[in-house]
Amino acid sequence: MGKLVTLAEAVASIPSGSHLALSGFAITRCTMAFAREVIRQGIRGLTVSQCVGAMDADLLVGAGAVERLIYGGGSLDRFGRLACVNRGIEGGSLHAEEYSSLSIAFRYLAGALGLPFMPIRSLVGSDLLRQLQERSGADVASIKDPFTGESWLALRPLSPDVAVVQVQVSDEDGNAWIRGPRWDNAEQVRASQRTIVITERVVPGDVIRQDAEQTVIPGLFVSHVVKLPFGAHPASVYRVYDYDAAEIKRYVEATRTPEALQAYLVETVHGVPDHAAYLEKIGGQARLSELMADPGLGY
Amino acid sequence: MDLDYTTSELMAVAGARELKDGEVVAVGLGLPVVASFLAKRTHAPHMTILFELGVIDPQPVEPGVGLADPRVWYRANVLSSFVDILGSVLHHGRVDVGFLGGLETDRFGNLNTTLVGDPRGKFRHMIGSGGANDIASCARRTIIIMRQEERKLRESISFITSPGYLSGGSRRAEAGLRGGPSKVITDKAIFGFHPETRELMILSVHPGVTLDEVRSTMGFAPLVPDPVTATEPPTAEQLRLIREEIDPERMYMG
Repeated sequence: MGKLVTLAEAVASIPSGSHLALSGFAITRCTMAFAREVIRQGIRGLTVSQCVGAMDADLLVGAGAVERLIYGGGSLDRFGRLACVNRGIEGGSLHAEEYSSLSIAFRYLAGALGLPFMPIRSLVGSDLLRQLQERSGADVASIKDPFTGESWLALRPLSPDVAVVQVQVSDEDGNAWIRGPRWDNAEQVRASQRTIVITERVVPGDVIRQDAEQTVIPGLFVSHVVKLPFGAHPASVYRVYDYDAAEIKRYVEATRTPEALQAYLVETVHGVPDHAAYLEKIGGQARLSELMADPGLGY
Repeated sequence: MDLDYTTSELMAVAGARELKDGEVVAVGLGLPVVASFLAKRTHAPHMTILFELGVIDPQPVEPGVGLADPRVWYRANVLSSFVDILGSVLHHGRVDVGFLGGLETDRFGNLNTTLVGDPRGKFRHMIGSGGANDIASCARRTIIIMRQEERKLRESISFITSPGYLSGGSRRAEAGLRGGPSKVITDKAIFGFHPETRELMILSVHPGVTLDEVRSTMGFAPLVPDPVTATEPPTAEQLRLIREEIDPERMYMG
């Protein structure tokens, strides 16, 4: 069976309670269309991880789909904070495990390499570490370097059930290119049991083979490929489209109170059957053409 | 002749002066970006600028809304990953200077970007670490740049996101951490740390600011040298670069 499926089919492969590694960083390459479909399908009890908390995780938390968040802190850059995540942490409804960017990246790296743990210099002496140690079944521990006797902090590997990664280009087998910085995405894919690739463009395998050094995600890790232009909207995708500042500001306003958020979810998620209808709703081709990236600048 | 300049411009210039040619600098967004690009265009052309998500030495032509904005990745030498920048460069020990902002700092340069209030009671959650804890833990030295208010420079902060000298003296080294904060640059003064006790110490007070104003806008008493020197003001060329080339839209400078 082919890997190329609709967004709804790919999302339907995810059981409630799964651990998802999401590819967003603040307001760029966020898995926004994916998050909206997860909410539509009523999938809940998720664990979400990413190095820097992003808009995709915040929307899922706001919709009540997330039980546990493993992240290194995050924001919507100048647009604002992760209001849903913060409200969940303050009220106790979200079980958040807070690290730093590199400590999450190292947990993915350990998972990717099949190592039992990863030593790290970060976190030592901080209240982040104290909080992590106070949790039952802590994923941090002290060890001694067997060669020098030096003390180190060790991190347990992360092994998400599914990595969901928004990319620019993929073939039908999921051999995918990520243009621009990749933050934690390569390690997320390799640490996870399987990967769903959400791609702006699907190209023939021959195109990938001509420039295979650009391939960041090998198809062998990929279970599903979803062709989905503007899948990250209102976040940006480098060299394809810019972030939609007006729409991100609307989200920031909508996440100020739970009531406003419910209205936003009804309008933007539940009130539209699919991604195509969402794009029409936010202004269709006229709006989207204004966001297209300048090929020289990349934004 | 006296030049007109804002306190933000003075802070950016003071930050730039801390950076040496040839150094590798890990930068957070805002004033540290202006300070780093200013240093690079003046006395430190061979400096290397790093952004945590995988960006080395960009040459932006427009300011961005944050590290996630492709505007600040423009014309980079390298676009890679956290493991590359925060791992192979920073964690390995190859970063000379980390440049950090914060919500709160204390007498020993510990930084809070996580929450305000009581972590076990009522609190407001803010941003968290991102790469800040990694940078504060692994860089050879860190520079903290923030506005000075009594609620921001506190005897005791709500949460240590990024370690400074912990409870002072040799506690940081005993915890197994190298480096540590070298300077705190505010809109009132430049501070250093006592070489033994690691307490915050005034190094210079900005032109037009009195020592009393510095003391009354912080929540604890800093060490004070005698006499107190004045911070060197920006030059006309530094101001021109900030206003015309680095931040013409005053995105970072407020």
